[in-house]
Amino acid sequence: MLETRNLDKSFGAVHVTRDVSLKLERGERRVILGPNGAGKTTLFNQLVGELTPDSGSVHLAGEDVTALPVANRARRGLSRSYQKNTLFDGLTVEENLGLAAAVHTDNATRLWHDSLTRPEVREIVDDVAEQVNLMPYLHATVSEVSYGVRRQLEVGVALATRPLVLLMDEPTSGVGPEMSKGFHELLNNLPRDLTMLIIEHDMDLAFDVADTITVLNYGEVVFDGLPEAARGSKLLKEIYLGSWEDA
Amino acid sequence: MFRHNALRYTVLVLLASGALFQAFTAEYFGLEILTEILILAILVLALDIVAGFGGMVSLCHGALMGVGAYAYALFSTKAGVAPPVAMGGAVAVTGAAAWVIGAIGSRSHGIYFIMATLAFGQMAYSYVFQSPVFGGDDGLGGISRLDLSLVGIDLTDSRSFALFCLAILGAVYGASVLILRSGLGRSLTGVMHNEQRMRALGLTVWRVKADVFGLSGMIAGLAGTLAAQHIMYISPGLLSWTVSGEALVVVILGGLGTLVGPLVGAVAFVVLKHEVSALTSYWHLVVGVILIGVVMSRANGIFGWVESHSGAWIERRLSDATRDPEPEEAVSDA
Repeated sequence: MLETRNLDKSFGAVHVTRDVSLKLERGERRVILGPNGAGKTTLFNQLVGELTPDSGSVHLAGEDVTALPVANRARRGLSRSYQKNTLFDGLTVEENLGLAAAVHTDNATRLWHDSLTRPEVREIVDDVAEQVNLMPYLHATVSEVSYGVRRQLEVGVALATRPLVLLMDEPTSGVGPEMSKGFHELLNNLPRDLTMLIIEHDMDLAFDVADTITVLNYGEVVFDGLPEAARGSKLLKEIYLGSWEDA
Repeated sequence: MFRHNALRYTVLVLLASGALFQAFTAEYFGLEILTEILILAILVLALDIVAGFGGMVSLCHGALMGVGAYAYALFSTKAGVAPPVAMGGAVAVTGAAAWVIGAIGSRSHGIYFIMATLAFGQMAYSYVFQSPVFGGDDGLGGISRLDLSLVGIDLTDSRSFALFCLAILGAVYGASVLILRSGLGRSLTGVMHNEQRMRALGLTVWRVKADVFGLSGMIAGLAGTLAAQHIMYISPGLLSWTVSGEALVVVILGGLGTLVGPLVGAVAFVVLKHEVSALTSYWHLVVGVILIGVVMSRANGIFGWVESHSGAWIERRLSDATRDPEPEEAVSDA
């Protein structure tokens, strides 16, 4: 469903992505682990088109999308949430979801009707709000809801485009342990045919949600396999998991 | 997102009633001022759509109005096209010009977008100023008004022309509301709040900006055709950046991103201009001081101030009404 082949990216002398090749099957849930500065978010930015790789390619559902701009990739089914909330702050939760659903249903550029009141948009808004537990907050503006709810909305907005592949950059970043547990449930309840690539520092969530795990270190894939294998990997303990297990 | 509320409807009714009262009771000078307000109001609605709901602060809307005025003048006087067709043609030409400006400028933001639009406006001004086709710095005269004698309306009469402009303003306001409530308008608001996210959702952002800028240009062009018919003479000064600057002052003075506010701003600006200029030729200074006061007050213009204070007042009244009386007070009241 999503594949990268030999993706490479440098900023001057700093090599942030080195020859990264990944292959996600339909419905696969992969978590990317790695210490700060490992190049996880830079990899995401190349996948969605916000950064252009120096070499290598990105393939979505068998199509080479490397040369396509961000919006075109999104319309082909690649959606992302951000590490820092990237929402429509002055608008309500409902409007945030509605804007995303309007793009997906091809209502976003129509001049003759209100995109937010279209039945097909309303259906997606209600459905996603149910999925990510936002029903009680639909009429509140983003600034009126808690940080945790905003994190849920961050994922909800990405989901409202009905993606084939959902990329989530640290969905539980900054939320407490209780809310984090809620996120496990939320992610596990998403449709099984949705392919997910998740950057995550929360190890419990990573091992709970992931079908497969990829570990990046200095922009390079140093591990690619099942969660059970990741737990037992000595290399991982050295570069990353040691601090987790010691904790 | 654009919303109407009770206060906005009330202000709209008050403004429309005031305009109708003025249109039926004023003498020639009062009617001229009213027409000036109405044409300016149409221009600032066009500007508010892009600046207030799209974050595209334009310094070429004066020039777009000028393009509409000149296109109407050329079509109706030199090409011999019937005035209604000339009006439609002028609006279409201005819309196309604005779409191109919006498409090119859509990749820039903030001060760079302002400078880009200023450059486009000044290019148009310089070209018109120097081109003999447009009459150079002498401008163009002999422009006729629409002939509505078939329906018994004589637009050469100041009162009829003012009412005609009021009807057009009403239609433009309605069209502006429809644009802002459409999918395109909603997306534009989304782009203003978070362009990066809208792009990540799959929206072709430049196209949305260009389309709305084109629609806004059509409205500015319509204001231009009315301005040309009003004075029946046009000069390159109509395209000057100062006209765009004045329109921006009016939008900020009234309340950016409210649609109703700019209408209030147009009334305040023109009335101030005429009243203060009767006392001193330094009327710009007075308007400048008022504008600084409005900006420093952190309210969103005159209407924004009224809206926020009326909201606070209603909230206070509601909380007073729902609060349980203190026992002592209840006894003393009894």
